[in-house]
Amino acid sequence: MINLEPYGNPQYFIYLLIGLIPLMIGLYRGHRWRWYQSLVSLVFIFLMFDGPKLEQGIALIGYVLWEWIMVGGYMAYRNRANNRWVFYAAVVLSALPLTFVKITPAVAAGHTSIFGFLGISYLTFRTVGMIMEMRDGIIKEFHPLLFLEFLLFMPTISSGPIDRYRRWLADYETVPDRDKYVGMIEKAVHYIFLGFFYKFVMAYFFGTMLVPRLSALTLHYGGDGLSWPLVGYMYSWSMYLFFDFAGYSLFAVAISYLMGIETPVNFNKPFLSPNLKEFWNRWHMSLSFWFRDFVFMRLVFAMMKTKLFKSRVTVSNIAYILNMLIMGFWHGVTWYYIAYGLLHGLGLVVNDWWLRFKKKHRKSIPHNKFTEAFAIFITFNFVCLSFLLFSGFLNTLWFVKP
Amino acid sequence: MSASKRLWLIIGPVIAAFVILVALLLSPINFASNSKSVERKAAVSLAPQVFKGRQIKKQALAGDYVPFFGSSELARMDPMHPSVLAERYDRNYRPFLLGSRGTQSLTQYYTMQTISTQMKHRKAVFIISPQWFVAQGTRKDAFSFYYSRLQTVDWLQQVQDTKMNRYAAKRLLMMPSGHSDHAIAAMLRKVAKGQALSNYNRLELSVRALILSHEDQLFSDYQLGHNVNKVEKAAKQLPDSQSYAALDKTATKLGKEHTTNNNLGIDNGFYNTRLKGHVADLKGEQKTFDYRKSPEYSDFQLVLSQFAKTHTDVLFVLPPINEKWAKYTGLDMNMVDQTNAKIKQQLTSQGFNNIDDLSHDGGQPYFMQDTIHLGWRGWLAMDKKVKPFLATKKGSTNYHINNNFYSNDWQQLAPTDQNLAQPKWNENK
Repeated sequence: MINLEPYGNPQYFIYLLIGLIPLMIGLYRGHRWRWYQSLVSLVFIFLMFDGPKLEQGIALIGYVLWEWIMVGGYMAYRNRANNRWVFYAAVVLSALPLTFVKITPAVAAGHTSIFGFLGISYLTFRTVGMIMEMRDGIIKEFHPLLFLEFLLFMPTISSGPIDRYRRWLADYETVPDRDKYVGMIEKAVHYIFLGFFYKFVMAYFFGTMLVPRLSALTLHYGGDGLSWPLVGYMYSWSMYLFFDFAGYSLFAVAISYLMGIETPVNFNKPFLSPNLKEFWNRWHMSLSFWFRDFVFMRLVFAMMKTKLFKSRVTVSNIAYILNMLIMGFWHGVTWYYIAYGLLHGLGLVVNDWWLRFKKKHRKSIPHNKFTEAFAIFITFNFVCLSFLLFSGFLNTLWFVKP
Repeated sequence: MSASKRLWLIIGPVIAAFVILVALLLSPINFASNSKSVERKAAVSLAPQVFKGRQIKKQALAGDYVPFFGSSELARMDPMHPSVLAERYDRNYRPFLLGSRGTQSLTQYYTMQTISTQMKHRKAVFIISPQWFVAQGTRKDAFSFYYSRLQTVDWLQQVQDTKMNRYAAKRLLMMPSGHSDHAIAAMLRKVAKGQALSNYNRLELSVRALILSHEDQLFSDYQLGHNVNKVEKAAKQLPDSQSYAALDKTATKLGKEHTTNNNLGIDNGFYNTRLKGHVADLKGEQKTFDYRKSPEYSDFQLVLSQFAKTHTDVLFVLPPINEKWAKYTGLDMNMVDQTNAKIKQQLTSQGFNNIDDLSHDGGQPYFMQDTIHLGWRGWLAMDKKVKPFLATKKGSTNYHINNNFYSNDWQQLAPTDQNLAQPKWNENK
C-alpha cells in the first residue's frame, strides 16, 4: 500500500501538483470547483493515513465524528442559551481526545494513545477556537459540511499553520481575481523553493549531519555538565528545529495559496527578534497568536473581572506564566516540556519588566546599533537554551543515558 | 503585463529547471571518470559520500587499491597507519579506507554491495571492533548516517532468496532508513518474506538506480578533505628503511613524544579534547560493559556470507583495548576475551582462518593511540601481517557458511569455552 508522508520528499510535490492542476485551472478561470477540491483533498488525506498508518486513519475518523458532534452540538445549544458551565464542558470535551493522547505516554511509558494521529493537536486548536468564538457570538452558525472542509483542510492538516474558521471561510467562499491569484502562485513558487532549501538542505545539514554526531560526542565524552559538544548540539538542534518547521510551514502555506486560500504564515525571521515578546510574534506565529487570543487574553479578562489581583502587572505576569505553562503541557507531559513552558513564561515576565524599566529610564539607557545587536544576541541565545530543554536531549543525557 | 504572460514568467523557469534536472538524472550519460588524484584523495578521505557512493570505489578497487574495512581506528593517521606505510614505501597496494566512527557490520555489508564485482577473488582487510557487539546492536542513528539508497538498490537488483538476503532485509527494515523510501520498504518486506520482486519493482529499481548513480557520479568527488596532506606529512616522518627494527624505533619515539600529558598512554590531543575535564568520572565507568550477546554477531555473519559469495580472501584484525584504560574504567577483560573467542569461533568454524589477533597486546607500550584505537606500534604490528598478505593480489578461499550464525541462539549464546565448543542450535529456519 502506498503511504505518503506529507511534504516528506520532493516527489510528493509532483504528485500534489498533478492533483491540484485542475483546481488551479478552475481558479485561474474564476471558478472554485469545491467538489474537486474535496475529492483531491480526501485522496491525499487517505494516502497519509493508509497502509501502516491505518490505525491513525481510523482514529482520525472517530475524532472527526466526535468533534462534529461537539462543535455542532454546542452551536445548537448556544443559539438558545449561554450557560458558562456548558461552554466549559464543551471546551473540555472537545479537547478530551488530545488530552488522552498527551497524557497516555506520561502515565504508561512507551505507549501511545489509540486516539492519536498525526495532526490531532492542530485540529483541536481549530475546534476549540471555534467553540470559543461561538460563545463570543462571532460564529453564528454551524455548517455541517463547511466545518469538515475547514477542519480537514488538506495542506495544513498535519502540522498547521492554525487557521481561523471565519478567515478561512471568507477565502473559501470567494475566488481571488486573476491578478491576485497569479500573485499567489508567484508567492507559492517562491515559498516552495525556499522551503526546499530550508527543509532538504539546511534542516538536513543540521538535523542529519550535525545533530547525531554532536549527540554521540556529548553522550560519550561530554560528561553530565556543560561541554563544547553540548553547546554545539544546542545550536544545531535549534537551527534544525527552525529550518525543519519553517520549511514545512512554507510548504503548507504555498499549497494553500495554490488552492486559493491565504493560510497565515508561521515564521517571520524569529532569530532576529530583539526581545522575547517579539520572538513569540515571529516564531510559530499561528500557534502563539492562538494562545494569545484564546488563552492569554481570556485569562487576563477573567482575572480582571473577578478582581483577583489589584495590579495589572501582576495579572499579566500570572497570565504569561500560565499561558506558557499550558503551551508546555500541550507539547507533552514531560518535565522538559513543562520546564520549557515555565522558562518562557518567566522569560516573558522578565522581558516585560525590562521593557517597562526601559520606558521609565529612556534617557539614561543608550539605544544604538550595538545595543540592538546585543538584544538580538541575548534573545537568540536564551531561545536556543530553551530549545535545548525542549529537545529532550538533557533528559537523555541525565536520565536515560544509554 | 497580461496575467497569462506573468503566469508563464513564474512557472516557465520551474518547468525548465524540472526538465533539465530530469534530463540530467535520467539520461544514459556516464559522467564518471575520476582522475588518479581523485582516487588517491578518496582512498584516505573517510568521507561519507565516498563510503555511500559507488563510482570512485569501483574505479579505485579495479586498480591497485585494496579495501580496508573498519571503523573509527581508520582515522588514526599517524606515520604507522597502513595508508602512510603503503605510500612511503611505494608498496604494490594502496589501502582504500572504508569506514568511520559508527560503521558496523550491517553498514559494511551494504557498502560491499556496490563493489562486489571488484571484490571477486581479490583480497581485503577487515578490522573488527569488539565495541560493536553491544546488546542493542548497531545504533539506528549511526546506521542512518551511512545509509545509502544506491547500495540498497544495487543489492535489491541482484537479490536472490537466500538466508543472507532475508536476514539483511529484515535487519534493514528494523532501521528507520529502511522505511525512508516506501517503494524500497515494500520490496524489502518481500525479500524478508522470501517473495520474488515483480517486474514493476524492477522498473522502480532501474529508475532509482539511474538517478542515484548519476547523483553519485556528479557529486561524490566533491570535498574529499585534507587527509591526503595528513598522509604525506606523516610519510615524511618515516625512516628510509622499512625494516621492522627501524620502524619500531620510530614508532616508539613518536609514541613517547605524543603521550606526555597523562599516564594512561593516550595521545595528548585526544586526552585534551575528549577526556581531560571529566576523566575522574570515567573511573570504573565500564564495569558493566558487555559485548558477549548482541545482534551484531548475526550482522557480522552477513559480512562473512558476502565475503564467501565474492570469494574474497580476507585478513581479519582483532585489535586490543588499551590495558591501562581498561583497568582505569574497570572494563572486564575476561568478558573481552570471551567476546573475541566468540568472534574467532564464528570465523574459524566457517573457514575464515586469516586472523591477526592482537587482542592481548593492549599492554605493550605505544601500541594504542588512545583508549580503543590502534596507534604507532599497534599499526606496525598489524603491518607485519598485512604486508605479506597483500604481497600477492589474488587469494584462494575455502569458506563454508553456516546459517545458524543468523539465529538468536548464537546472538545470545554466552561464550564460555564449553558453549563455544558445542554450540546448540535450536532454531532451524
